[in-house]
Amino acid sequence: MRNLIYGALACCAITGAFAQAAEPDASPPAASTPASTAEVEALRQEVQSLKEMVRTLQQQMKEQPPATTEKNNSNAPTLPQNPEPQTADTSSQPAPSPNAPPLFPTSDTAVVASSPPVNANGTSLFPTTDESVTTTPATVSSSDTGSSLTQPIPITGGGNKNYMNISFDSVFALASSSDRHLDRLEVGDHDPQQRGFNARNAEIALDGAVDPYFEGFANIVLKLDNNNQTQIELEEAFLQTTTLPFGLQVKAGQFFDAFGRINATHPHTWDFADSPLVNGRLLGPDGLRGVGAQISWTLPVPWYSQAIFAVQNGRGGTAYSFRNPGDNGVFYDRMTIDRDASALHDMLFVPRFENSFNPSDTQTVLFGASGAFGANDTGPNAHTQIYGADFLYKWKSPRAEGGFPFVKWQTEAMYRRFEAGRGLDNLFPVDETFRDWGMYSQVLWGFKKGWVVGIRGDYLHMQPSAFTQDDTRQSRSRISANLTWYPTEFSKIRLQYNHDFLEENEFLASRNADSVFLQFEFILGAHGAHKF
Amino acid sequence: MKMKYLILASALFATLVSAVDAKLKVVATLPDLASLAREIGGDKIDVSAMAKPTEDPHFVDARPSFVVQLRDADVLIDGGAELEIGWLPPLLQNARNSKIEIGKPGRVQASQGVRLMNVPGNVTRAAGDVHALGNPHFMTDPIIAKTVALHIAQAFSAIDAPNASAYDANYKKFEATINAKLQEWGTAMLPFKGQNVVAYHDSWVYFAHRFSLNIDTFLEPKPGIPPSPSHLAEVIEKMKAQKIKAIIVEPFHDRKIAEKVASSTGAKVVDFAQYPGALPNTDTYVKLIDALVARLSAAMK
Repeated sequence: MRNLIYGALACCAITGAFAQAAEPDASPPAASTPASTAEVEALRQEVQSLKEMVRTLQQQMKEQPPATTEKNNSNAPTLPQNPEPQTADTSSQPAPSPNAPPLFPTSDTAVVASSPPVNANGTSLFPTTDESVTTTPATVSSSDTGSSLTQPIPITGGGNKNYMNISFDSVFALASSSDRHLDRLEVGDHDPQQRGFNARNAEIALDGAVDPYFEGFANIVLKLDNNNQTQIELEEAFLQTTTLPFGLQVKAGQFFDAFGRINATHPHTWDFADSPLVNGRLLGPDGLRGVGAQISWTLPVPWYSQAIFAVQNGRGGTAYSFRNPGDNGVFYDRMTIDRDASALHDMLFVPRFENSFNPSDTQTVLFGASGAFGANDTGPNAHTQIYGADFLYKWKSPRAEGGFPFVKWQTEAMYRRFEAGRGLDNLFPVDETFRDWGMYSQVLWGFKKGWVVGIRGDYLHMQPSAFTQDDTRQSRSRISANLTWYPTEFSKIRLQYNHDFLEENEFLASRNADSVFLQFEFILGAHGAHKF
Repeated sequence: MKMKYLILASALFATLVSAVDAKLKVVATLPDLASLAREIGGDKIDVSAMAKPTEDPHFVDARPSFVVQLRDADVLIDGGAELEIGWLPPLLQNARNSKIEIGKPGRVQASQGVRLMNVPGNVTRAAGDVHALGNPHFMTDPIIAKTVALHIAQAFSAIDAPNASAYDANYKKFEATINAKLQEWGTAMLPFKGQNVVAYHDSWVYFAHRFSLNIDTFLEPKPGIPPSPSHLAEVIEKMKAQKIKAIIVEPFHDRKIAEKVASSTGAKVVDFAQYPGALPNTDTYVKLIDALVARLSAAMK
């Protein structure tokens, strides 16, 4: 009961105080929505007087024995009178306006109408409003301001002008290896390519809302080759719908295909300093990406289930296993026919289906199956099919600080059927079909805030061919371990060790190779949000 | 084929069921916002929070299940002050739910109407994990919580007009409770007015402001940067000089560091939390502030 009385009295005080604030003597009452200078001044004075009041009250509290504070404060004559409520009588209470939206009752029928006159000793001992921290709630609920109740209060938190997020991520690596040909040992284009320093991935990332219908993204990658010449890639540039119904989303432009886990991500987000063997050899050193369109659908089921389907040209080095003319017109030792799409089946089709659920509050799993189907350039009717399966498990502590500690286990496997034709003008002696497969599995343990230790195993089986001596068709395996320190989420330093098990051939002279990489990264600009 | 029908049937069923019970589906990024939504919505809504009460709200995994929650939401309540910037944007991109876009009635940004404190004049990451819009941990001030509750009530009323009077009544009730409780809390904290308290992270500026405490010494040298020995030595010296009696830590902080500092200064480590549910018997916002006030005043006696 006492609580109610306190509440009622407090409300009176608030409303009264507001009434005065909103209607300073000098300014007309109607002009309260857009804050005029006079009003700001009035509010400032109001805050000042409230502060004074608080101070006086607190002083008062100190001087009084605690017992007094327990009493109903209407019986506390020693308390100073709040000057504000006296100036506001009930007639100044905003009358419910007929124009007010009926959704939310505006008059304080429950509290104000049934409460005693405002100028009673309705002063709370401890302030219950503070205009230095909030715009007074009464501003919103009183109908005389003419503002809609659902209209946002003008002081907004998220109101910064922001047309485009810009960031710059740069990854470097200091490499040392027992193999002289690091560029042949490492399978990814953004991996370290020479002993010494490497700057293989400096990317400018732009994103933002295009308009109410689309979001736009762009990633422009600059990298230095082994002779320190700058190369530029338009890695991604696409727009994506935001307002399609039925859980649909369309993406169009140049983009990474949603094939497996790693392919669609950028090198600086990887957990290792280099690309897995299977990604580099089956999807290609640059990853599988190209110009095209993609539709994705979140299925209307209670768990996360998404179907994705992309169509792309599937042409060039970024569609490595497809219509890729190869280096100097040669791919897998065949002179390639660099051909246009003659029919729909020459395009690249990339479907994916992924599902995720949470075994517990701290664990998440995600399963995915992907495919990539298209033509290749080794013959007029040569085609390629790649199938992939991926699995992700993550545990994160319920008391995680900065996202640590966590354990993450990620595995991907791929199988490729590559119809290798006889090449340009049937110059190659035979046609063959390569059935290649490979996988990697990695476990990352974030054992302490900012610190992650990881281990990865790689295996790649390339079907031997009696006719080719291509170093990119070598079966091999690798084991890697690393330790990463993230001083903040904007920088990292990583030490990685790789041990490669190789077959001897004319390109790779030794059976084994040991490499050590020291990778370092920095991010400037927009806060990089973390995808799962 | 059978599977397909099964999925379609279950989807249809799910739609029908949701049409029948017709409760507002409310998703809050953080448990404190969810608690206020529960106060206002009562049994008229279903509420879920994304972040766990015990975890660091700056770094929440963008789990795929959150995409589903957001896709199905009628209302999303977020802090609005970039606390969730590291994980909410990609989820929203994937959720494809236009009902919860910024500017729609289904989106409540709690920071609206809140004057954020510690707005950095010069935003540089050299200062650590800075928030350009100001300190986003504003819900620890009950007066601010009232404003946030009002916004939530307005949003619910706008979307679910038939229950508007219930939401209004619940808001009034919440407001009255907070007003009454403020007397209680204010009285309990009054003896410690102007005293210094050490915190692990700078998330208590609003709480300090409300109860006239000074919480401006932190175990972290800069927000988000782990404590270094040299910084801790400075803190210990300062604590001794100012006779600081309490160090507040949150569930996700390294309590051992706080204990070490406490043992060399004679101060007490006080387990604090910003989120209802993180401490025992704090399943509502009011109970949480009750617990904070009780714990801190006990430690500072």
